[in-house]
Amino acid sequence: MMVTESLEAGPDRLSDALIRLVSVGKVFDDAPSSADQRGRKGRSTAGTNALTDVSLSIAKGEFVALLGPSGCGKSTILNMIAGFEKPTQGSVIVGGKDVIGPGPERGVVFQKPTLFPWLSVIDNVTFGARMAGIAPSVYLPRAEDYLRRVGLKGFERHAPWQLSGGMQQRVALARAWILNPSILLMDEPFGALDAQTRMMMQELVSGVWTLTGTTIVFVTHDVDEALYVADRILVMSARPGRILENLTVDAERPRDIEALAADPRIGALRRHILHRVRQEVRLSIEAFS
Amino acid sequence: MKFKHRSAISIASVVTVIVVWQLAGQFKWVDPLLLPPPSEVVRTAVDLMVHGYQQVPLWQNILISIARAVFAFAASILIGVPLGLLMGMSPPFSAMLDPFVQFLRPLPKIALIPLTVVWFGIGEGSKFFLIFISSFLSIVVGAAAAVQGVSSARLRAAQVLGASRTQIFRHVVLPNTLPELFTSVRLSLGIGWTSLIAAELVASNSGLGWMVMNAGDYLRTDVVIVGIVLLGLIGYLLDVLLVLAQRRFVPWSGKDA
Repeated sequence: MMVTESLEAGPDRLSDALIRLVSVGKVFDDAPSSADQRGRKGRSTAGTNALTDVSLSIAKGEFVALLGPSGCGKSTILNMIAGFEKPTQGSVIVGGKDVIGPGPERGVVFQKPTLFPWLSVIDNVTFGARMAGIAPSVYLPRAEDYLRRVGLKGFERHAPWQLSGGMQQRVALARAWILNPSILLMDEPFGALDAQTRMMMQELVSGVWTLTGTTIVFVTHDVDEALYVADRILVMSARPGRILENLTVDAERPRDIEALAADPRIGALRRHILHRVRQEVRLSIEAFS
Repeated sequence: MKFKHRSAISIASVVTVIVVWQLAGQFKWVDPLLLPPPSEVVRTAVDLMVHGYQQVPLWQNILISIARAVFAFAASILIGVPLGLLMGMSPPFSAMLDPFVQFLRPLPKIALIPLTVVWFGIGEGSKFFLIFISSFLSIVVGAAAAVQGVSSARLRAAQVLGASRTQIFRHVVLPNTLPELFTSVRLSLGIGWTSLIAAELVASNSGLGWMVMNAGDYLRTDVVIVGIVLLGLIGYLLDVLLVLAQRRFVPWSGKDA
């Protein structure tokens, strides 16, 4: 299968792009962190090549899934857009500016809920607003609204650890979304949940997205999840990660999981993606053996 | 195992030991001078409460020991916690103080007693210093480690919610370290209590430690045992108080979300 050199996955008109990655490469130092580097000068500095020459652009309001085998660097892409990590090559541009660090206009939902256990549900959800110095009269009604949206009305005073994993992740979702970020980055947010809860969460995210129109980058290794939530799927290769394919999911919203499964076009797309992903997994296993 | 069952077994085991101890004295299995039976220990305790030991009432010795411990312990928390947090936050600062902390911390504090007596005499100063230095060091180390134990995921979560550096310290790092701080405070309480008694044993004319030591010199083993039981019980009680405070103030201790 051929991969075009100039494959810049995304909208044709670059001016529309809210997020752009231009020939991004990322090499991780294998050496221990700077804190304990003394006396290690002779060591090779080859490092791990996580990403090579990744270019993509994502338009405002798009829902894009990054799909690939584990270890392919899809989370690294997300971390670079979030500003947690810097590319070793190329540039990551959001809203026309190079990303220099994390900021509240780029919300993140992590694989684990990562709530603050010393705060109640409502205090977790309003954390960002309180840090920004917004008045309670402004953020409290909004928080109530978001908690209702994610189905957690009545749990305001609960401690996070009193909730199930799915409920915790819904709090995390509300906490990120309530700040009205222009971009929401999701790093396998439902990977740790059971299949039924996961489906419910996918419906929830899809539903809230229809209302807010937030630009979403959604990292997953689950083909069905990508097909259900996203408008566009970027399929990634095994490490070092590249973008292999840029596929549009042409299905009406609101989507219905059963109708989606019955749609022959989606079925063909699903088979095609599965084939590509399996190929990549095989390659990466061979590379290790 | 259920809490009820556990406590039942614990109580039964304590009662058995006391009964055997009593019988051992009653039937002269051991010389009561070496190990006075519980009945005599209780009698002595009552006598000490009423008449005191060498004219000093028992409660006075108890209070003075507790006061020394609490006072020096509070000081070591007030200074040790901020210093430890600072060390945890600032690697250069930590590099500067760490050699001294690491040298002094494992040092048996009893070895410092001769010096403290020379420096501070056998008055309150030397006791304060010994308790302070031993609990202070372990609090500093505990607090510094607690800061470094904050997960990067939690810090990132706060960053993308727009928290500034100072806000992250105040609203994430501090509450995140509290459970560990409580644990290191509990540990250092034990260490401080131990050093207090060591100090009172060697260089003092009041307090429970002094009473035990002095009674030993006069072969009053009954008084010695009363003192030992009291020392153990008070140490246990202080720890229970801290555990209760921990449950009250950091209910999220050990929980993750």
